[in-house]
Amino acid sequence: MDDKTEVLEREQLDIEILRDVNLRLPAVVPREAFPAVPLTVDARLQTRAVGQRATRPDCRMHGLGQTKYIDDIKLPGMLYARIKRAGISSARIKCIDTSAAEAMPGVMAVVIGEEIPVNSFGPTFQDQPVLAADRVFHAGDGVAAVAAVTEQIANEALEKIVVEYEPLPAVFDPIDAMRDDAPKVHAPNSNIYATKVVRKGDVEKGFAESDHIFEGRFSTQMIEHVSLEPHAAIADWDATGRLTIYATIGRITLARADMARTLKLPMSRIRLIGTTVGGNFGGKNEISQEPALALLSKKTGRPVKGVFTRSEEFTSSTTRHPIIMDYKSGVTKEGRIVARQIRLVLDGGAYCSWSATTLGKACILSPGPYKIDNVLTEAFVVYTNKTMTGAMRGFGAPQVCFAYESHMDDIAKGLGKDQLEIRLLNAFDEGSSSPTGQVLHSVVVKETLNKAAARFGWESQS
Amino acid sequence: MKRRGRGIGCMWYPIGFTVDANPSAATVKVNEDGTATVLTGTVETGQGALTVLGQIAAEALGIATDDVHVVSGDTDVTPMDTGAIASRTTYVTGNAIYLAAEAAKAILFEAAAPMLGVKPSQLEAKDRMIQVKNFPQRAVTIGEVAFRSQVVLGQPAIGSATWNPPTVAMDPETGQGKPFATYVYATQIAEVDVDDETGEVEVLRICAAHDCGTAINPMLVEGQVEGGISMGVGMALQEEMLFDANGRIVNPSLTNYIMPTSLDMPEIHVDIVQGFDPTGPFGAKGVGEPTAVPTAAAILNAIHDAVGVRITALPATAEKVLAAIKAKKGALKQIPR
Repeated sequence: MDDKTEVLEREQLDIEILRDVNLRLPAVVPREAFPAVPLTVDARLQTRAVGQRATRPDCRMHGLGQTKYIDDIKLPGMLYARIKRAGISSARIKCIDTSAAEAMPGVMAVVIGEEIPVNSFGPTFQDQPVLAADRVFHAGDGVAAVAAVTEQIANEALEKIVVEYEPLPAVFDPIDAMRDDAPKVHAPNSNIYATKVVRKGDVEKGFAESDHIFEGRFSTQMIEHVSLEPHAAIADWDATGRLTIYATIGRITLARADMARTLKLPMSRIRLIGTTVGGNFGGKNEISQEPALALLSKKTGRPVKGVFTRSEEFTSSTTRHPIIMDYKSGVTKEGRIVARQIRLVLDGGAYCSWSATTLGKACILSPGPYKIDNVLTEAFVVYTNKTMTGAMRGFGAPQVCFAYESHMDDIAKGLGKDQLEIRLLNAFDEGSSSPTGQVLHSVVVKETLNKAAARFGWESQS
Repeated sequence: MKRRGRGIGCMWYPIGFTVDANPSAATVKVNEDGTATVLTGTVETGQGALTVLGQIAAEALGIATDDVHVVSGDTDVTPMDTGAIASRTTYVTGNAIYLAAEAAKAILFEAAAPMLGVKPSQLEAKDRMIQVKNFPQRAVTIGEVAFRSQVVLGQPAIGSATWNPPTVAMDPETGQGKPFATYVYATQIAEVDVDDETGEVEVLRICAAHDCGTAINPMLVEGQVEGGISMGVGMALQEEMLFDANGRIVNPSLTNYIMPTSLDMPEIHVDIVQGFDPTGPFGAKGVGEPTAVPTAAAILNAIHDAVGVRITALPATAEKVLAAIKAKKGALKQIPR
């Protein structure tokens, strides 16, 4: 034990010294800092592996700052790409002049939307362009991508790209967007691009049988994932016609399919390497700039790297859906929920992305983990001319949980019941039927309520 | 003055995609020395998935976590996988790896049976040995068996398998169906201090009790819960993307998009509730996303408990909480008719 401590202390010291010597270089672990015998924590050596507090094989590299993320990868001859963003929420693109940018020394290639073989992608509806070609749907849309020998030159080149826009009407509020006379984001289609209904029992009959009715409206905000590592990728289209993409992405199988579709390439010609991901939380579930980087690489014959700025993470990547949630519940005087009616409106942003999935999960989960015989949930997701909303840890569940649990406390207060007791009274049991009529197994809601209450020291105040 | 409150957030959350197929495929190779290599098309996104998947393979093969190396994230090398999404990795990819390890183990048992003079069905893999069930003294090391299987019998111990969670489509009119194979449950209870003169909310502690079926690695479950709570605190109190009248984001930077730092984190107590799901690998379900689900609900209920105001639009910034407190005080002062 003492030996181990000594090794660790010495390492720490060495890294400190190196950092002092040259702050501009990444810290390199001196050879002598490597332990003679690899340090393996006992939990990793146990048989019966399941249930062990085994450390991660990558944790030592993370701890020493030695993990290589995509930004650390530099291929020979590699170029740097930047993307010009529209900065206008709704417009027709009249023309894009890239000649001044292309004439700049150090600029090796420019790509615009028209050049992308199939300029659309998306997991449910393919409504999102890689680069906007004739129409801008939100301010963060890319309109052109530049590859240059340095990131600085690429940035300067963006300034020299001239885009002429014809502004078009836009809509930003999801409820306004539902009106018949609202500007259509993807005309001529309705802005309501997906709906979901869960109906069980008869809510009207349930309300009639209830002693009390409670109603409330709740709403949530748009949130960004803010992964420490932004979206980043390297495309390398080699002389054999094979494309290798290094990307910080959580789903390489889908990403390869999207690359094949957008670039019209056989899948066997594409290799997708998922690099160490510095935070995902749902934000790195699909491709973004990769097809544009691939075409820049094809044009130049060189590997091309693109890394989003922090600002682009907000303006041009997916975010969490704001949801407007109307709840109405009928309860008995004992506190049992008899009927619950819910209407959800999800702000779907400019493109579908993972909205259909979010809509479905929000709709199914919105009544909460409670036994309710009469349920009606209607959910809508609508286009607005804002940053697209998509997958984010929980797919709509944190939003509806905030609503159904706030609503639950309002019911408890209205009836003078303890917040814990009213939940225990209504919570699912083993074999309970969910709002979709599914018989639930391995149900431990009440166990979690009791465990958390015991740990907290919850005492009833009713 | 600071007023203290407590609030409950209770939730349920499904594992895997809504109805749609979300398969995982996996290959497990037992090396000639009894260690193993796992090939999976998922990607480690920081949650420790590869460690958990290695533990599942190790458990199935009767070896230790450290004996397994997991190769992931390369479409040229690894089999198809739906990826790190929908809290599905432990459950779906885990089941595929479990089945692949079982297939590799069956090859080892075929090789070991004549060595031990019993039928393959009478064998089990445990403590890096293949042994006759109930007779641990009659055993050979997995390394010996794997070597013999490959080099003498000419049959390397490699198993491949796929798994896709069973679901039933939802009726389009009523939504009735079985959209998910399984669900997890959790409760978080928050304690907060609300300053009724400034509206500032401080989250003091959160007691989180989470179900994940069998905890393959309790330490990584705790890590997920702590991370999820940090996102929940941001959602409850701070984070919000704001737009101008023309639909442009006004705070696209970490200077004015405020999110929690380590200083905003409450004291966290994690309890893993005993559970076992027979459809999961060794009874496991999942835990990734659910950890971020009930936090904001618990905090907002605690604010309500502390100062009696119900914030219905997130986030509950100090400005919003203070305005609600003032409005409530104003309402109390109204002269009755």
